[in-house]
Amino acid sequence: MASSSHHYNNPHIEDEDDLIDPDDADLNDFDDPLSNAEAQRAPLTGNVGAQAGPSSSSSRPLNESFLTSRIPGDDRRAPQNTIDETVWETVRRDLLAVWSKMREVLYPRYLFGGSMLESGMASGGLRGAYANLRGAGLSGAREELQSLAGRVMDPEALLSQNNMTPGLRDWDLWGPLIFCLLLSVLLSLCGQPKQKDAIFSGVFAIVWIGEAIVTLQIKLLGGNISFMQSVCIIGYTLFPLVIAALLSAVGLPPIPRIPVYAILVAWAMAAGVSILGGSGVVSNRVGIAVYPLFIFYIGLGCLCFIS
Amino acid sequence: MEQSQPQQQQPPAGSLSWRLSSHPITLLTFLAFRVSSLLVYLFGVIFTDNMVLIFIITILLLAADFYYLKNIGGRRLVGLRWWNEVDASTGDSQWVFESSEPGTKAINATDSRFFWLALYSQPVLWVALAILAIVRLKFIWLPLVAIALALTITNTLAFSRCDKFSQASNIAGSALYSGNLAGSIASNMVGRLFTFGR
Repeated sequence: MASSSHHYNNPHIEDEDDLIDPDDADLNDFDDPLSNAEAQRAPLTGNVGAQAGPSSSSSRPLNESFLTSRIPGDDRRAPQNTIDETVWETVRRDLLAVWSKMREVLYPRYLFGGSMLESGMASGGLRGAYANLRGAGLSGAREELQSLAGRVMDPEALLSQNNMTPGLRDWDLWGPLIFCLLLSVLLSLCGQPKQKDAIFSGVFAIVWIGEAIVTLQIKLLGGNISFMQSVCIIGYTLFPLVIAALLSAVGLPPIPRIPVYAILVAWAMAAGVSILGGSGVVSNRVGIAVYPLFIFYIGLGCLCFIS
Repeated sequence: MEQSQPQQQQPPAGSLSWRLSSHPITLLTFLAFRVSSLLVYLFGVIFTDNMVLIFIITILLLAADFYYLKNIGGRRLVGLRWWNEVDASTGDSQWVFESSEPGTKAINATDSRFFWLALYSQPVLWVALAILAIVRLKFIWLPLVAIALALTITNTLAFSRCDKFSQASNIAGSALYSGNLAGSIASNMVGRLFTFGR
């Protein structure tokens, strides 16, 4: 079958039994020409110039990249077939992806670190910290606080960790869209009737431009994060600020706003820094990379405060 | 239902009728999403003075249309799908295209005509609306039009690219199969001939 061309190429045929299929052979015993084709093709995708020699020329027409060379792409059929799934499966997978990103934001790993990194369980860190607190009493609490303060003071440690979980690698723009709209609407609700349009469009623009600038800063400092990925993460970390805007819209008096909003902004920062901080920026420039992120969160927090 | 679709400008005798579709619900939902964002943008002002409300509804409809076209409509109507993957170590993003096996799925001609017409006409209409907004000096609507253009053009580009990829690899697959039977040089010739023929 598919291996016959090799036998024609070399004249020394010792095993003639391989060429002639036995009569009682099952269909499963034969070489599958299609799977063989896949196997030949797999190492070739992506490097057109690297191949040479007559043995690989049979698969040359597979690299049709001269047709589609502007955007480098990958045609994938066999390994992960999502063409024929039901609508419910599609929606469910995407909802789960959104939820997993939300969970990353709800439990910032930078602060509740430690056990998180090894276990891979997204909620283990908070529980681990809590278990430490309960188990060791006062001294345990002090240790936990010290290590927390240490982590806050030592952004360089982020570089050694790989903070990008598989769930965060596939970006989507649902989080940025929804939270940006919610933030704009909630803030414009508390404005005066004349200013509502201006507040809405202003906040909307500030969020998107801010996300773009923060991402640009990280990219320029040598971070290995893609633009959309960073926008996605920053968008999801707006969630605590949405809570702040909601409290403003409900009408929280100014005095209790100060501690509550400080905590919420710190929460957003912890989530943003824990994900973005270690994205491959040159060492001892992590502070510069996340500084615009601080400005962004504090600015939005102030907007929530004064509205 | 049929009068509300701008894709019906040149109805060539029944072939663009949704009754011929093999996925009528998918097709109608797809067309409804495509048209509704435009309708809200164009005629929302008649019903409400609240610009923010129109803005939000249009954006949400555009996002729903983008998602539906990319994840559900595309693969059910024409058997194509695309997405974008990020390499975790380098941060480079990569387009991934997926197409149904050539033999397994029969693409309905009506479905695919509707699909490609709607896919290509939407960005054209939004470009026209952008020009209109500039001419009428309504700059406040330009961000919305820009978002709409970005979403629709992304989908259009990705799907046309995906279609090219699927055709190319179909030809390549058949060339490889014949190549294993007839020898490598012949297959190369076949592959070249096929690509020149298109």
